[in-house]
Amino acid sequence: MPIPVKPDRSVTTTCAYCGVGCGFKAETVEGRVVRMIPWKEGKANHGHSCIKGRFAFDYYQHPDRITTPMIRKNVDDPWQEVDWDTAFAYAAGEFKRIQAEHGTTSVGAVSSSRCTNEEIFLMQKFARVALRNNNIDNCSRICHSPTQFGLSATLGAGAASQHFDSILQSDVVLVVGANPTEGHPVFGSMMKRAVRRGARLLVIDPRRTETVDSPHCRAEVHLALRPGTNVLVLNSVAHVIVRERLYNEAFVRARCDGDDFELWMDLVGDDRYSPDVVGPEAGLDPDDIRRLARIYAGGPNSTIYYGLGVTEHSQGSTGVMCLGNLTMATGMVGREGVGVNPLRGQGNVQGGSCLGSWPHMLTGYRFVTDDVVRGSFEDEWKITLDSEPGLRLPNMFDAAVTGSFKAIYIQGEDPIQSDPNRHHVEAALRSMECVVVQDLYLSETAKLAHVFFPGSSSLEKDGTFTNAERRVSMVRKVIEPLGGLADWQITVGFMNAMGYECHYDHPSEVLDEIARTSPAYSGMSFDKIEALGSVQWPCNTDAPEGTEVLHTVTFPRGKGSFMLTGYLPTSERATDQYPLLLTTGRILSQYNVGTQTRRTANVAWHDDDVLEISADDAAGRGLSSGDRATITSRYGSTELTVSISERVNPGVVYTTFHFAHTMVNNLTSDLDDWATNCPEYKVTAVDVVRASIAQPVAGS
Amino acid sequence: MTFIWNELRDLRDAVDLGTPPRDGQPVTLSIDGVDTTVPARSSVLLAATIAGATVPKLCATDTLECFGSCRVCLVEIDGRRGYPASCTTPVESGMVVRTTSEQLVKLRRGVVELYLSDYPDSDIDGGWSQFHTTLAQVGLEEGLPADHPYRGGDTHADVPVDESNPYFLFDPAKCIVCSRCVRACEEIQGTFALTIAGRGFSSQVSPSQGESFLASECVSCGACVQACPSDALIEKSLFPEGYHRADPR
Amino acid sequence: MSFIETERLVTMANQIADFFAPYPSARRIEGVRNHLRNYWDPRMRQALYDHIDATGGPELRPHVLEAVAVLREAAPATEAKKAYAGPPRD
Repeated sequence: MPIPVKPDRSVTTTCAYCGVGCGFKAETVEGRVVRMIPWKEGKANHGHSCIKGRFAFDYYQHPDRITTPMIRKNVDDPWQEVDWDTAFAYAAGEFKRIQAEHGTTSVGAVSSSRCTNEEIFLMQKFARVALRNNNIDNCSRICHSPTQFGLSATLGAGAASQHFDSILQSDVVLVVGANPTEGHPVFGSMMKRAVRRGARLLVIDPRRTETVDSPHCRAEVHLALRPGTNVLVLNSVAHVIVRERLYNEAFVRARCDGDDFELWMDLVGDDRYSPDVVGPEAGLDPDDIRRLARIYAGGPNSTIYYGLGVTEHSQGSTGVMCLGNLTMATGMVGREGVGVNPLRGQGNVQGGSCLGSWPHMLTGYRFVTDDVVRGSFEDEWKITLDSEPGLRLPNMFDAAVTGSFKAIYIQGEDPIQSDPNRHHVEAALRSMECVVVQDLYLSETAKLAHVFFPGSSSLEKDGTFTNAERRVSMVRKVIEPLGGLADWQITVGFMNAMGYECHYDHPSEVLDEIARTSPAYSGMSFDKIEALGSVQWPCNTDAPEGTEVLHTVTFPRGKGSFMLTGYLPTSERATDQYPLLLTTGRILSQYNVGTQTRRTANVAWHDDDVLEISADDAAGRGLSSGDRATITSRYGSTELTVSISERVNPGVVYTTFHFAHTMVNNLTSDLDDWATNCPEYKVTAVDVVRASIAQPVAGS
Repeated sequence: MTFIWNELRDLRDAVDLGTPPRDGQPVTLSIDGVDTTVPARSSVLLAATIAGATVPKLCATDTLECFGSCRVCLVEIDGRRGYPASCTTPVESGMVVRTTSEQLVKLRRGVVELYLSDYPDSDIDGGWSQFHTTLAQVGLEEGLPADHPYRGGDTHADVPVDESNPYFLFDPAKCIVCSRCVRACEEIQGTFALTIAGRGFSSQVSPSQGESFLASECVSCGACVQACPSDALIEKSLFPEGYHRADPR
Repeated sequence: MSFIETERLVTMANQIADFFAPYPSARRIEGVRNHLRNYWDPRMRQALYDHIDATGGPELRPHVLEAVAVLREAAPATEAKKAYAGPPRD
């Protein structure tokens, strides 16, 4: 009889997939998770869900899970299974030996945004107190580090100004370089609700995404710009606002630095950024740029949502500054329905950014070079801290290649698959003497590791996540860690083995430590989050229950600062040899490099990365949908199946990078953002040719 | 009428208010003799739920706009003729509402008997869906009596189960055509992948143009599964031994 | 061998300089200086200094050279200016 089994237990927790951070009730039968039910009181999702959080949870018990610590002397040796203490002692012994031979700063660590705030905080503490240096980075280095830089420079807070529901009070929604219906589906549904209620939708994206046109949700203006021209086009939008005097002078006068505003007006007001000049350069109709600018400036309440299409460029930070400038110039910041909001990729990437997992900053975006800030941590931790900035992740790899960096502790990241220029990363890891990987599975990176710590999924631990709207929500343990220890316990174990003694009975004690040391989190505790359901930072004595909308009275940096955002074309440009521009993105059913979703039934929808190409470009190359094609860039090549698509313009090709075997990051360049080294994933000049039917096989 | 932003925040995990919470001036009405105050634009069903009355419902849920198709949430209101559906009736100041009476019990039971006449007998005992809760509320937890006159009519027992989606299935035999799935796909998810195809007895929930769920535009967000009150759309993970219909009698 | 390949360091320094190019001269130099001070590992800075000492840094933008000169003048102990991420200020 088809009577469904009835769950015997329900635990409210937070989804670990994307930056929306939906509340879920994990329901179990005899200790096994049988379903995830969206939580109606979850303030990010109000009872809604997407395929990933709702259904794709089975990865946690996939046969590939490793649940025993392992060590080996050389990466060519077989793995040796050991107990936790042996693994900690071996890793610590190697790190100490390497530091003795090559110096204190020859080792480092990188934290994972799949982990909790408490675990990320402990990782940076590990680097600072156990490694005694500032070589700590987090994965937002390769996604939203320009957000933190660009929004801090303009508005003073590197985070979303609004809460998600605020979009239901917007009259105009401008989406730039993001595809929320695929990448942030539950927020995408909220955006569609706003459009169905009458909000006007504007999209700037090279691709005709699902966001541009779907049932009852169509963009009024879509600027399908040439990849790499964001800053040019956003400056042109600003040009229209300046020349047509659409800016909000009263707001600027009251809230912003007037001298910088004058400089900015001179820069963007220059004929260089006139739509008539920019249009042909960016592949756009100049009138569309004007229409978009007028609608945005007209509001009355206009809001901006943006994604990696803005940040993953050599001018990524500049692009974010352009958006910050636009909100200030038009006065579209500091109340409900307006603002500027990054759509963050990973569940806890905002937390990763907030909690000091940076080589140059401690919690709350405060510099390690600041004696007062550093001193407060020295008091808390009873240890002297390095006063100089450490290495960023790409620079750790750079320094490894020259022999100056020898060991790394990687928590829940797979840089071989996710970071740019795979060959460079591989060479860097191979040159290291000790690579410690903490993960659920033997990832591509773990194949080059010497120590493997079996990590825990978000179902296996307590803690908090901070989502893309600065909302801190509870992660609750649903089942015991399969490897015996939760990630935070692993880091503490490693820290103790390194000789820095510390002890926590529960992650709530780590949040208490965060609260003691970090102004924006100072009012937070597990008890408060438990009582309120979730809390948006800043949460402190001025705002004991948290803050929904930022910048209402002043900017954290005082006066808002217009940044001068001159356009510099990327050196990655189309040539005769590489005539097409490849850009990358996400698809709904798969998540990031697919570590988890590839291990679920989600492959029913998407079992491979494909290359989208326009009919024109396909015809010129004798390609049809379904053909295999070789894609070659200046950096490498790979093979993908072709899909002829109306979503891309001639001259542009597009793919996702969810599958390890397609090795799309073989193609991507080593260009990166000027301010943060965030890689330029969104523009690579390539050529596409039909793959020969019979590939020559070496040695045959 | 659609949700405004702050109304979404009044949704509660432990209770289904029946219709969406509203933001508005307070309105006081009498529910079963108890004065109850709710925001203007709220439904009588919501007011009754807040007052603690148990009004059975099938097509109504607080995450979706009211629809008024199932006719189970009927109430009596002084000065109104007949038995209005409480989900589609907005509150008014001074309204006097009765949520239970001999006549209401009879009417509701009669409506649910009709639903039961096209619901598999084998799936009544042990069920825990909202439909099963409703059966208990109207005194039909044992299902349709063996000698009930509605027995022997047409059913959807032979319409095949759609198991194409890896995560959930659709069993038309258990569908009561309340449209909650269709409305969830439109109002909550915004994909508009589902529709009610056909008319009268042959009307059936259908993804896109009569395609399977997997082949359709459905994005597997799960909103329809969440909304379904009668186990017709349900997670496969709740059937560890697979989904096997009982042999038709 | 340099701490990080010289070509990479030069590219990074020039990219930073290019961003600050639209600013008035003093702020342009200050911007590059602040960025190198607050975001670069000291060994990266040293590698850049070594390169400039050895070659004069002909591929470097002039205001990188000026910013480096300012940076090298200031002794770490007299680092009075509070660390600051944002745009150059007076």
